[in-house]
Amino acid sequence: MNEQMQDTTMLRLEGVTKSFGKNQVLKGIDLTVHQGDVIAVIGSSGSGKSTMLRCMIDLEKVNGGSIYIMGSPLVENGVYVKNKDIHQLILRMGMVFQHFNLFPHLTVKKNLLLAPKLVEKREKDQAEQDAMYYLEKVGLADKADALPKELSGGQKQRVAIARALMMKPAILLFDEPTSALDPELTGEVLAIMRQLAQEKMTMVVVTHEMGFARGAANKVVFMNDGVILEEGTPQEVFGNPQHARTQEFLRSMDLE
Amino acid sequence: MEFSELISALCEGALLTLQVFIIALPCSLVLGVLITLAVRSRIAPLRWFFNAYIYVLRGTPLLLQMLFLFYGLYYIPYIGPSIAFSDRMTACCVAFILNYAAYFAEIFRGGLLAVDPGQYEAAKVLGLRKPQTFWYVVCPQMFRVALPSLGNETITLVKDTSLIFCLGLHELLQNATSLVNTYADFSPYIYCAVFYLILTTIPTILIRRLEKRFNFQ
Repeated sequence: MNEQMQDTTMLRLEGVTKSFGKNQVLKGIDLTVHQGDVIAVIGSSGSGKSTMLRCMIDLEKVNGGSIYIMGSPLVENGVYVKNKDIHQLILRMGMVFQHFNLFPHLTVKKNLLLAPKLVEKREKDQAEQDAMYYLEKVGLADKADALPKELSGGQKQRVAIARALMMKPAILLFDEPTSALDPELTGEVLAIMRQLAQEKMTMVVVTHEMGFARGAANKVVFMNDGVILEEGTPQEVFGNPQHARTQEFLRSMDLE
Repeated sequence: MEFSELISALCEGALLTLQVFIIALPCSLVLGVLITLAVRSRIAPLRWFFNAYIYVLRGTPLLLQMLFLFYGLYYIPYIGPSIAFSDRMTACCVAFILNYAAYFAEIFRGGLLAVDPGQYEAAKVLGLRKPQTFWYVVCPQMFRVALPSLGNETITLVKDTSLIFCLGLHELLQNATSLVNTYADFSPYIYCAVFYLILTTIPTILIRRLEKRFNFQ
């Protein structure tokens, strides 16, 4: 049983702490992500959700605790592995940002091709084929030669997802992927994320979209003031929240 | 004064101006990028040195720097005689390169500050190394922001070449002045102005073209 568990563990956080100056934003986070998990991380702003996600992919350095990615340590008891190894670990993950962060000077297709070309030295024909495959997948094959500035917010985020998929990540992290979008554009992005969830892509999604958390996630994590206060299936967290703080948060989301 | 004499004197001067310009511009641009990187480096002494460099070269007149490079280096104890320039043209070009690199470095620094931090993060999570991130992601965006100011400086560079007269070089304005003095006729200055305008038109058009090409935001 134990061995089986380990096989499917993609990502594990143990006692992760993080401070910005005197402000401790993560106060000991334990979290395990299994293969095919779609984990929705919810909580009010300032609860540490985004910081936790950014620590997983080394955009923030933790102060203490351990992070394991597919069994290999990124940081163990606050001590990071060598830069070379960090680089290899990051390559197993992809990330989608709130503000898309597309490269504005490159066309959509070149946004997708840059990393395969530079990082993997992927064969040009193969990379182009892959790019068109993923653009097709997000429904933007016709925008291959457009510049990011010519796209709507929703289209930009779909390109960003395709760009992350190009590197064939084992784990995909989403940092509030729809928060910067006009409400009528969130649907097209969420639809692609739902499709990825159905294809058993392992995903950790920091989100304010309670509909997505309820419908597409198999696990919901509620964060409050730097700790994971509650986690469980959507039915458990939404249907029968244990903590007063969780209930309060969910009520406030319902009111919106 | 014969018209042909006027034109040949001005052409001769313009050639020298063009020479300084063509050598100084690319060299100072490259040096400027390197200084920008040095000023943002993690190595503190490197930062201090190049901040001081920018401070001195922007804070003193180019004319003085030229005089110092050609006449002054010799008097540095011990090493002076071996590093002094024997050729006036070389001294001029070096002075221009060092001076303009300081200005370009400041312009590029401004461009660098305008690049969204999210760009570095996106590049990192895609697995790009730092040099790759700088060259393929940051540089084009920095350049776009810097372009209008670079255009300004480039045109100033064309006009500043008139300063090389101080080392006795016969550039455009100097040649016009000797004709004016010889013939007590003001018209060479008018032709001289036309020459400068022609010379500055080239970079003006070039910069416009580049701005159009880099119009991605």
